[in-house]
Order: sequence, then C-alpha cells, then structure tokens
Amino acid sequence: MRYRSLLSLWLLTDLAVFVGSYAAAYFLRVGLILSTDFPFEPYITVAAITSPLWLIVLITTRTFALTRSQSSFRNLAYIIYSSAVGTALFALGYYFLYGLFFSRMLLLYALVISTVAIWIWHLLYSKFQRMMLRKDPPVFPTLIVGVTRESRELIAKLNKGLNPLKPVAVLDGKGCKDSEIDGVPVRGKLNKLEDVLGEGITHLIQCSDLEQSLNLLSACRQKKITYMLLPSVLGIVERDEKVESLEGQPVTMVGPKENALMWFFK
Amino acid sequence: MHAFILAGGFATRLWPLTEKRAKPLLPLAGVPLIEYLVRDIPDEIPVTISTNAVFKEAFESWAEHFGRSNVEILIEDVQSDDQKLGALGATAQWITDAKIDDDVLLLTGDNYCGFSFDAFLAAAKNDTTLIAVHDIGDLDKAKAFGTVIADGSQVNGFEEKPKEPKTTLVNTGCSLLPNSVLPILIDHAKEHPDNVGGVFEELLNRGKAIECFSFSEAWFDIGSFDAYIEATKELVGDTVIKESGSSLDSSTHNGSVVIGAHSKVSGSDLTDVVIFENCTIEDCTLSNCVLDKGCTLRGIDLTGKMLREGTKLEKK
Repeated sequence: MRYRSLLSLWLLTDLAVFVGSYAAAYFLRVGLILSTDFPFEPYITVAAITSPLWLIVLITTRTFALTRSQSSFRNLAYIIYSSAVGTALFALGYYFLYGLFFSRMLLLYALVISTVAIWIWHLLYSKFQRMMLRKDPPVFPTLIVGVTRESRELIAKLNKGLNPLKPVAVLDGKGCKDSEIDGVPVRGKLNKLEDVLGEGITHLIQCSDLEQSLNLLSACRQKKITYMLLPSVLGIVERDEKVESLEGQPVTMVGPKENALMWFFK
Repeated sequence: MHAFILAGGFATRLWPLTEKRAKPLLPLAGVPLIEYLVRDIPDEIPVTISTNAVFKEAFESWAEHFGRSNVEILIEDVQSDDQKLGALGATAQWITDAKIDDDVLLLTGDNYCGFSFDAFLAAAKNDTTLIAVHDIGDLDKAKAFGTVIADGSQVNGFEEKPKEPKTTLVNTGCSLLPNSVLPILIDHAKEHPDNVGGVFEELLNRGKAIECFSFSEAWFDIGSFDAYIEATKELVGDTVIKESGSSLDSSTHNGSVVIGAHSKVSGSDLTDVVIFENCTIEDCTLSNCVLDKGCTLRGIDLTGKMLREGTKLEKK
C-alpha cells in the first residue's frame, strides 16, 4: 500500500513537472508575459494532453522500476529519450489541433528543460521514496543467502544507497561466525529458511550455495517471493555478464573483452 | 539395561530434506533410519529417544506407528540449534532426571549399523565400557569421526575428530556404558555438553577400561547428501523399491531407485534416485537425486540434487 501510494504520487508529480517544464520553456522563450501572438492557453493545453502519452513512454523504459537507480547514465539516457519523444508528440499534437508550427527554439527549450527537470525530480523523489520504503517495517524486507565477499559488498551497497530492498536477515548454507553484517543479523543456516521467509520477506538474493538454488527458487515460488541470483554464484565476478536471448530462450552471456562499439552488434 | 538414542540434531547439512523432518526419521530404502536401530534392540530393553520440541509430533507419530510399547520419546525443549543442551548434556540430564542406574546402551540416531545388537551386547564384559568400531579404511575420512586406537579389543586411545588420525578405526556412535561410569559422564557433560566422544577420552584418563567391538558389516553416518546416497545404494542394491500406490511407467532405471508411496514416474530415466511420497515425475532424466515429498517435475534433467518438499519444476 505504501509503495503503491508513493508510486502513484510519483507518476502524478511527474505529469505536473512535465507540464510545468513546458510552461517554463514558454516563459523563457516568450518572456514573462502572456503573448497574444502565441497564446499560452492552447500551448499548455497541448502540453497537458501530451503529458500522459509521454509518461507512458517513460514507464515503458522501466524508469520507475524498483531496482532502477535514478542517478545512472542508463536512466538519464531513458529520460532523454522519453523527453525527445514527448517533444515530438507535443509538436505533432499542436499541429494536429491548431494546424500550426512554431518556434523551433521553444521546442529545444522544452526538451532541455523537461529532461533536466524530470531527472532532478526523479533524483529527489527516488531518495524520498527509498527513505519511506525503508522505514520500519520496511516495505521490501530482503533475505540474503550466503556470506561471501560479494554478499558483504551487496549488503553494504544496499544500505548505503538506501535501496528499497532492505536486507533484514542473512542465512548461510554452512553457517558463519559473524552475528551480523553491516547491521543485518545473521540468523543461521538454511534450516531457518522457512522461519525467516515466514516473517514477510518479499525478496531473496542468493549470493552463494549454488547447489541449493533449486530449493531456494522453489521456496520463493511457493511463497510468492522475488528470487534474485548474484552472478558471482556462477563464478561471474567481472561485471561483464549480460542476459540475452537465443531464439527466445534466455541465456546469461559472458563474452571476450573487445572494442566497446561491438557491444551494439554482438 | 536402558537404550538411549540421541535424535535431537537439526541436521543442517542435509537441508532441505531435514527442513521439516528429523534426520533419524529420514527414510532409508523406504524405512525411517531410526527404525533400523530400534527394531534390532532386544525387546526387553526399554528405549528412550531424545529429540527436540520441533520434531516432537513426528517422533511421537512414528513411535505410535512402530508399535513397540517400551519406546519413550523424550523432548528437549529447544526450538533451534543454538539452544540445544548438546548430545552429552542431553544424555546426562536424562540419566539425572530419570535416575538411571542401569547400564546404558547409547546410540546416535543418524547412524545405520549393519551389525546385530545381540552380537554387540554379547561381546560386553562386566563393568567395562564397550564401543562399536568400524574400519573405514581412509585416514582422510577418519578426520570427521572419533578415532579409536586399539590393541586387539582393548582401547588404548581415543581422539575426537583428529586433524592427523593415527588410525582408520572409528567410533560408530554405538556404545555400552556400565552404570559405574555414569557419574563420570554426568561430570564430563558439565564442561563438554556437545562432545559425546570426549567422554571416552575422559574414561581412559581416569583409568577406566574400554573394549571395542569391531565389525565388518555396513555402517553409515548419514550426515550428508553423499552419505545418504551411498547408504541407499548399499541397502537397495541395483534394483527398484516401489512403495504402495507408486508406479513406474515407460521409464528406464539404473542403480538404486526408491519410489515413495503414491509417487508416479513416467517416461523418465532414473539413476540412483530416491523419490519420497506423492511425487509426479514425467519426461525427466534424474541422476543421483533425492526428491522430498510432493515434488512435481516435468521435462527436466537433474544431477546430484536434493529437492525440498513441494518443489515444482515444469519445463515450459
């Protein structure tokens, strides 16, 4: 409920920021007046009509996904792309409604301002949302399975970055000496799995114990918990894996290092 | 004489088979492991099985089904590994609480012993501790057990899980303790509640004689997936055990295969596989696998896996 409310608020405020950034572009181009040559009302009406379409484009880029970091270049690229589509939709909409084109500079202003405003708003809102989602009791309590160098790093990153997936417990197949990792209690071995999952866990991240992946996955499916697997469990530690598809069948791919441009073609 | 079986462990190495089941209740070739022990103990010897509250109902249900009147289930009131009294601690508490002044046949509930307890008990000498020992023939493997240094049947030394074993003769979790050494056990348990094997070292230190009963029949400490599969291969042999209501249609099988009650297997290749009750296996290739009850597999190949209860793997 908390997550849905926050997400709804985010979507609504995004619409407002989009329309607001178009208003800002208008006044920046026209000046702080309501021009009679280029009236504000039809302009802002088209921006308002365009905004839900733009939002749909943005949603399809999974910018609002729980696992997406708003500060990543990838996310910025998606916002730029959505804003460009939004600007194009706006120009088309204006032409279809009023049979007119107008200042190309205004479109450029609208593109830049909407991109920057949306990105800044996303950075701010996602921080606020993360704080709200992690407040006790956390909305997405996450179980970490396996105590390894990688899992220690992951827990530290999730906590430092206030990730919505809040580690609340750690289990290890063979047991470990630590009583906690970065403040997260180590609850014991996998024989505690049922008990821990019964405490409302929403996500499980497997960080070791490869031989138990089927059983962890099975437990997650039975309890409708999201299962995640660190590539390091498979021995992939160089951050160069990709999930691809071969004739529709997903495969995890690690290719030889080569020219970065080849990424687009291989 | 009174038999006391330690069955309070949480058996984390056999997870997930032991997720909802005590290790001594794991079926081995279709029979709960503990049943092999209890049915071989002479009828006139009362048996106390010590377990923990988590497995209380399962043991009570088993005891009722087993139907031997002088079996008592003793519940150690703990819910997790870190609250346990310890195996020796539990034994000492039982001796104290139940005011035991008989000789005690002390057994660990997760062992399969192929020898006859009649023969073991017949080898006992008056007022002398007797332990059953087995030559596992591998010094590396011996590191995981209590090793016994013996001269003939006389035990001269005992080392619990030594880093560098001097012998491949290991303690098999079956011992006969005369009532005269019970105070030493209780005393030792105060400092070392987890170390059952340590009590033998203590007895030797106090000048108490220990004899060993060496046997060549099969013995398994069912502590891991590999040990469970090995024990199954030994007991089942190159055949299939089909329990009531189970079926094996249009399938091939190699090695030891156990199909639990009401499990259905069709169109599959099975090699050294144990399938617990109420499973459905269709069009699968399984090798060295143990499937807990209620699993459903369709169109899957698996090797060397233990699957938890209710696992569903269906190829889309």
